Amino acid sequence: MKLQRTLTGPAGAVLLLVLLMSLAMIVAGTSPIDGFTALFVGALGGTSQLGETLVATTALLFPALGIALAFRGGLFNIGAEGQLLIGALFAGAVGAQMHLPGVIGMALLLLLGAIGGGLWGAIAGWMKARFNANEIISTLMLNFVAAAISLALVSGPLKGPLATGAETAWLDQTYWLPTLLPGSRLSIGLLVALAFALVLQWLFSRTVFGYELRASGEAPEAARRAGIDIRRITWLSLALSGAIAGVGGATIVAGELHRFNTQLSPGYGFTAIAVALVGDLQPLWICLAAFGFGILEAGGLAMQASAQVPKDAIHVIEGLIILVLAARRYVTTRIEPAAE
Amino acid sequence: MGALILSLLVLTLIKATPIIYAALGGVLSERSGVINIGLEGMMAIGAFTAVIVSYATRQPLLGILAGIAAGALLGYVLGVAATRFKVDQIVAGMGINLICAGGAAYGLVLIFNQPGASAQVPALGRHYGVLVALAFVAALVLQWLLTRTPWGLRVRACGENPAALASAGIDPLAMRLAAVTLSGALAGLGGAFLSLGELNLYSDGMTAGRGFIALAAVIFGRWNPLGATAACVVFGLFEALQYVLQGRIAWLPADAMQALPYLAALFALAGITGRVRAPASDGVPY
Repeated sequence: MKLQRTLTGPAGAVLLLVLLMSLAMIVAGTSPIDGFTALFVGALGGTSQLGETLVATTALLFPALGIALAFRGGLFNIGAEGQLLIGALFAGAVGAQMHLPGVIGMALLLLLGAIGGGLWGAIAGWMKARFNANEIISTLMLNFVAAAISLALVSGPLKGPLATGAETAWLDQTYWLPTLLPGSRLSIGLLVALAFALVLQWLFSRTVFGYELRASGEAPEAARRAGIDIRRITWLSLALSGAIAGVGGATIVAGELHRFNTQLSPGYGFTAIAVALVGDLQPLWICLAAFGFGILEAGGLAMQASAQVPKDAIHVIEGLIILVLAARRYVTTRIEPAAE
Repeated sequence: MGALILSLLVLTLIKATPIIYAALGGVLSERSGVINIGLEGMMAIGAFTAVIVSYATRQPLLGILAGIAAGALLGYVLGVAATRFKVDQIVAGMGINLICAGGAAYGLVLIFNQPGASAQVPALGRHYGVLVALAFVAALVLQWLLTRTPWGLRVRACGENPAALASAGIDPLAMRLAAVTLSGALAGLGGAFLSLGELNLYSDGMTAGRGFIALAAVIFGRWNPLGATAACVVFGLFEALQYVLQGRIAWLPADAMQALPYLAALFALAGITGRVRAPASDGVPY
């Protein structure tokens, strides 16, 4: 059991990661030294590389924070990918048409992201609260529905006049989020994400909602008897969880791509599950975990290009980390609102 | 019109088959008390392994068997995690899904030197109908096993009240490990049917959430093999409709129709409120 505790701690996770990455490199015919060099140079070796790492950090941080909120409430939100996509779609679709002063426009884009993602999360929340529909399956199904709807809209009515693929028209340049790190694509979206982390930290530890959320997640029966409205917590936490992921989608649109594209997320919403778990569902640790995974995402591409190690090895390792971390208990009892 | 309906029926059965195998695995695992969220990944690895082995040996049948074995191995891993280490089954299952999707993508690049899809390999061809029929036979057999044999009674006891089973001298953990391993084997077979039955290659994302649709079918079928199979046929119908309707409804774009099977699963989940009960110890470590 001592071994198990060591392995599930942060140091154990890093050790495991290094060992497995080395194995993946050796199997691909590259020495770990070359592989790791390629990975770290690709992730941190210059301004534009660091910028890409932080772009990935930002893109992972939003959905990871949303996932942490839902998990704390005893709800497994596996739909961050779809929520992020719908948030981005709302921002991209309206953003390509609107005419407003720059700062107001930017704020509106992020708000649209929150509304889109929030609605998408709320569907699963409502289904859970009203019909006790298993949220693991519903949030996952909604990912596929989101992908199909956005593809249909963006290849048809919302397709930009000059777009070659499934993309909207460009956003007006006045709405592009300002660059944070000159010489890179990094926008101030990172600061927005960090602000969300601080707000969530406060929300979890200092507010009534945070208390009710934790109570519902850890002891739903006791929470119900204490007068907490579990149905309200259920739909609200999934809606908020989706809204945060949706803002993330909007920052990708407004910050880096400057238009909506159906390929804008290479699975950020799924990697974010690993980020949230490694960060122990605590916002500030999640920031650190997101940076770590940002290095892997950005460095993985470089590692694939210069050391011929398929970047998908990183997803295998993320999965193994999740499997090992599953030995920690996140959710003791699952919410069953219909049992009331 | 008659030909259209016939082709819709045939397509429905074909599309239902991989989901049935996975859903039977889901029923077995959940009746024993372990939620198998990893079905999706086990299908993916089953599909991938089947293609690799068929590519190497030129024997599609060996490929199918290897797909079953690969699924069983992953089921065993989840089973050990759930019994020996008493992990959070949902989290562990999600980990398995990521490992499988990533592992197959990694393997594709290493073996075929190209991302996205494998080369075409020897497949079952017109013999795949045997696997379609076998899915329904398997459902009947599992129904019989669970309801009419001592082994089935033990599996069900394991999911309802493992402590009672233990006091009768049977190790619930061993029962669960066996059930989850078999569950993985069935999911692996479902995946192998996708890659070597319907098609003759593996491509990334080809399972497309079928493992999760299968879980919805388990719930919709009230944790009974025959009920889950019926649900899979309904979901298969919606998947088949998508192909048959394409181009026939002008105002509905083909891309939007891809959402049909997932919407069907969503409505199914919402439509059975309050009328289902999971095994009492489903998902609870013993």
